[in-house]
Amino acid sequence: MPAVQETIDQVRQIDVDQYKYGFETLIEMEKAPKGLNEDIIRFISAKKDEPEWMLEWRLNAYRRWLTMEAPSWARVEYPKIDFNDIYYYAAPKSMAGPKTLDEVDPELLRTYEKLGIPLREQEILAGVQESKIAVDAVFDSVSVVTTFKKELAKAGVIFMSISEAIREHPDLVRKYLGSVVPVTDNYYATLNSAVFTDGSFVFVPKGVRCPMELSTYFRINEKNTGQFERTLIICEEAAYVSYLEGCTAPQRDENQLHAAVVELVALEDAEIKYSTVQNWFPGDSEGKGGIYNFVTKRGDCRGANSKISWTQVETGSAITWKYPSCILRGDNSRGEFYSIAVSNGRQQIDSGTKMIHLGKNTSSRIISKGISAGKSNNTYRGQVSAHRKATNARNFTQCDSLLIGNNCGAHTVPYIEARNSTAQFEHEATTSKISEDQLFYCLQRGIPEEEAIALIVNGFVKEVIQELPMEFAVEAQKLIGISLEGSVG
Amino acid sequence: MLEIKNLHARIAEDGTEIIRGLNLTVKAGEVAAIMGPNGSGKSTLSYVLTGREDYEVTEGDILYNGESILDMDVSERAASGIFLAFQYPVEIPGVATMQFLKVAMNEQRKARGEDELSTPDFIRKVKEAAGELKIDMDMLKRPLNVGFSGGEKKRAEILQMALLEPSLCILDETDSGLDIDALKIVADGVNALRSPDRAIVVITHYQRLLDYIVPDSVHVLYKGRVIESGQKELALELEKNGYANIIEKAA
Amino acid sequence: MNVQSKKPITAAEQSLLDRYSERRDALQGDASVTELRDGLVHDFAQTGLPGRRIETWHYTDLRTLLKSAPSDFSAEAGASAKPIVPDSIVLSARNDCQDSAIPDGMDVSSFKELLASERATDLLASKRSDDFIGRVNSMFVDGGSVVEVSKGAKLEKTIEFQNASLGGHLHTRMSVNIGEGASGTFIERQIAAGKTDSFVSSITDLTIGKGAAVTWIISQERGVSDTHLGQINIRLGEDARLTLFIANAGGHLVRQEVHVTADGENSDFALRGVNLLGGDSHTDITMEFDHLVANCVSAETLRNVVFDRARGVFQGQIRVAQIAQKTDAKMACNTLLLSDEGEFFSKPELEIFADDVQCGHGATVTDIDENHLFYLKARGISDSKARAMLVNAFISEIVEDLEQEDLVEAFENRFSEWLAQHA
Repeated sequence: MPAVQETIDQVRQIDVDQYKYGFETLIEMEKAPKGLNEDIIRFISAKKDEPEWMLEWRLNAYRRWLTMEAPSWARVEYPKIDFNDIYYYAAPKSMAGPKTLDEVDPELLRTYEKLGIPLREQEILAGVQESKIAVDAVFDSVSVVTTFKKELAKAGVIFMSISEAIREHPDLVRKYLGSVVPVTDNYYATLNSAVFTDGSFVFVPKGVRCPMELSTYFRINEKNTGQFERTLIICEEAAYVSYLEGCTAPQRDENQLHAAVVELVALEDAEIKYSTVQNWFPGDSEGKGGIYNFVTKRGDCRGANSKISWTQVETGSAITWKYPSCILRGDNSRGEFYSIAVSNGRQQIDSGTKMIHLGKNTSSRIISKGISAGKSNNTYRGQVSAHRKATNARNFTQCDSLLIGNNCGAHTVPYIEARNSTAQFEHEATTSKISEDQLFYCLQRGIPEEEAIALIVNGFVKEVIQELPMEFAVEAQKLIGISLEGSVG
Repeated sequence: MLEIKNLHARIAEDGTEIIRGLNLTVKAGEVAAIMGPNGSGKSTLSYVLTGREDYEVTEGDILYNGESILDMDVSERAASGIFLAFQYPVEIPGVATMQFLKVAMNEQRKARGEDELSTPDFIRKVKEAAGELKIDMDMLKRPLNVGFSGGEKKRAEILQMALLEPSLCILDETDSGLDIDALKIVADGVNALRSPDRAIVVITHYQRLLDYIVPDSVHVLYKGRVIESGQKELALELEKNGYANIIEKAA
Repeated sequence: MNVQSKKPITAAEQSLLDRYSERRDALQGDASVTELRDGLVHDFAQTGLPGRRIETWHYTDLRTLLKSAPSDFSAEAGASAKPIVPDSIVLSARNDCQDSAIPDGMDVSSFKELLASERATDLLASKRSDDFIGRVNSMFVDGGSVVEVSKGAKLEKTIEFQNASLGGHLHTRMSVNIGEGASGTFIERQIAAGKTDSFVSSITDLTIGKGAAVTWIISQERGVSDTHLGQINIRLGEDARLTLFIANAGGHLVRQEVHVTADGENSDFALRGVNLLGGDSHTDITMEFDHLVANCVSAETLRNVVFDRARGVFQGQIRVAQIAQKTDAKMACNTLLLSDEGEFFSKPELEIFADDVQCGHGATVTDIDENHLFYLKARGISDSKARAMLVNAFISEIVEDLEQEDLVEAFENRFSEWLAQHA
């Protein structure tokens, strides 16, 4: 007991001042007036120079949203959000439309440099960064730059901000937007459909293996501003892409809203690997400030033999409400969900997945590792469902929770729904703390306590870390360490 | 090297006294065997020596190289050269054995103010030591102790002992769960580590292990005290006649 | 927020409201009881039957499942069926037509007397907003028994309480108090004695005193068109031991709720459940276990076998309070889904606020293992016989946990019979 007690005390003292991305960029911004109404939506649409159909789509969503109520089933508590007290559009003044790297405001470039995001292609090419990664950088409501566009275009891959895509590839966008997450899917998705500002668009044509990792980096900077990103990724037949998103925000006393929608479409034999390292500002140790992260992410394995794999490392946000899901429509399609959710301070996480088996011989795998510390609450919520015609559906779920200290909560809420006799579902969940025996063993080998806990925790999450692209695995491991700082070195 | 003086120790949680006035001296270069019936306090002694916080020392002292170690915590004692080969080595899922060895070796070096090992040096050392103990390098890529057989676990313990080069080794029931071939390999590993500046304390229930690791002294532990000390012949006598005679004599 | 927006009233809802109006003045209880009942009916008129938006009723949506409710009330049936275990003491759960001798150390009186006492309103008040069973029972309950087992009593013979329905409404409540150090085996037998559709609510409040050791069995054997809503509310005292065995093999629309509170240290609770589901039935076991104190053990194992177009539900929620350190809680739900038209939904939940615990759950859904089947067939056993053997093996593991030879034998026979008719 006593050895762990010390750790617990240290965790308790945690100040989230250790959040390393809490700085603010001072840059002149252009904002829409505060509040939400049809005029604001027209303003956003006009700013983005959108076609009429897009505006109608947004307005329709807004009207539907007005009739909806915020969901209340998740284990998260927060005061009612005043949607009229938020700015829905904020963009750096210098950014009147997407630019080439040379034209981007140097202040913005410095921001991303500080965040460790490689934007300068020449540096990447010069080997500063080990492997090549194309980045779409979204700053508040706009994409400021997308790198390696030309090189990707040569391979036939379209990678650009969704705003550009709406102008340049309207047919593709129109065909797929809202086809995975319908406009009225849920309260926050509907809100996003009305007011989304930017995000990424990826299209990988038939037979193409995307030649490099794609990545979007989201930064919320402006005060009182919501970020409503929209990402759409389409892999045609036998195409492949690996995509990573990262996110941070300055440290502020207020809560800020982030309501994103991500849609993935995989046609026959296609594969999409989507990784997230979510590190929004989590609020301070008393629960002041932090991002409300209400996200709808869903992948549609539309074609036979397609595969969608979600990997997430969730360390930030005051509230996380997020269930990256797979609709396994195509026969033999496969869905995967690998998750590490770390909560500390007063963070609340309610996250998990849905695996909806519709096609024949579909399979899914869920590995979820939750770590709760401080006064946080960490819930895994997941649904596995095999429909009547989904013969031979297979699922394996493993959900493990680790508690550090006695003021936090770890919860598991699985919904397992079998509607045909050939379904085979296996679900296992455990909750425990770091074992005294493991800790003593490490200490006896001369490993100091912080290091020992870090080692054990990293062992606990290993299965998921392995799923991340190599470049990010190390970063994610460090991030988990920082999030549990005080207990883990 | 090790001097235990009138040691009293109890379980921290409920106050049950387990070690009741224990005296023991082990010199550098000596191999001391501690034997005793179940519940005599053998495993507790190994935990008290290594500083497990589930136990409290209420009286007496433990001197290591002439200095009390009671104020040192577990990892400090380990870094100062006290090593425990566990009776039940603990499984740590997700942590590769190689990774664990590297962290442990470097942390101890760091604590002693030495430089960290380079990766090639580290691998060379591990390969050498593993070869001696007939440990397959593939086994070391697996998570620490997870799914290891009884023999593999014990060999992994001796491997760690060889790599960490401690000056006081405590072997807690290292023979339990081993067949005769595995026992020989483990004993050879231990014997290879015998040296004039190293003391080894072998805790065991049976004399069998002492056929292979021949002790310089044998001590009988009963109800938390050493009730009889002698040469290796004492172990043979115990094997033949059991503990009853000695216990009676002490009472 | 378990609030439903106003929806059109269903036929069953209207029927329940009408029955109450008819019955109100004939029900037992003084003015305060009637007032409480009126309040519940008023709430019911507002909220209606629980639907899928109420989390605890998500898979048992009574708004759609309960098509109608009977228009009359059941006659008193007494205890007439042959007991499950020969030589048991058979009593009517409603304390009517008692003819067996009550053993020493046990006292039984009518729930009607309790309804007339001051304690009635406390007992009938239903605190949880999603407690539909508690509410409907409190609205209509007019019979039951109050059982006291005195301190240190060792009941040798199995006590079987029969709650027999003859069609129409039947609302029963049992209040059972097991004194300190007492022990015994009890069967709560929910049986159909009539042929018409019944609508039954049956609640048992079971308090297990310090150091008492009890086996409590709920055997649900209602008719194929009956609605059975059961609830058992258990309080476990210090060092108490309870094995709760639930056997569902009957009924059309069935929900059995189990609410357990461990409020004395070192208690040990085991739930074993067998659900044999066939026809067009819908059967739901919903369990909530509150670990409020340290050092308690709970283990639940359920085995479900689904035939035909049957649908099964298991919801199990284990809650461990911050002070409930060293809790050891395990839950497993295994289902054999033998029909393509059958369905099974499970929701095994953990809600943990203490760190030094060992909690886990597992859930599986499978068909019969083809390898096992092949092995048996390769030994010359016919396909249907081999399947029956494997299904029997699947559930007999649970039955054997009853340990008492006569109980094991009785339930093995009962399940084999059921399987012979359905497989």
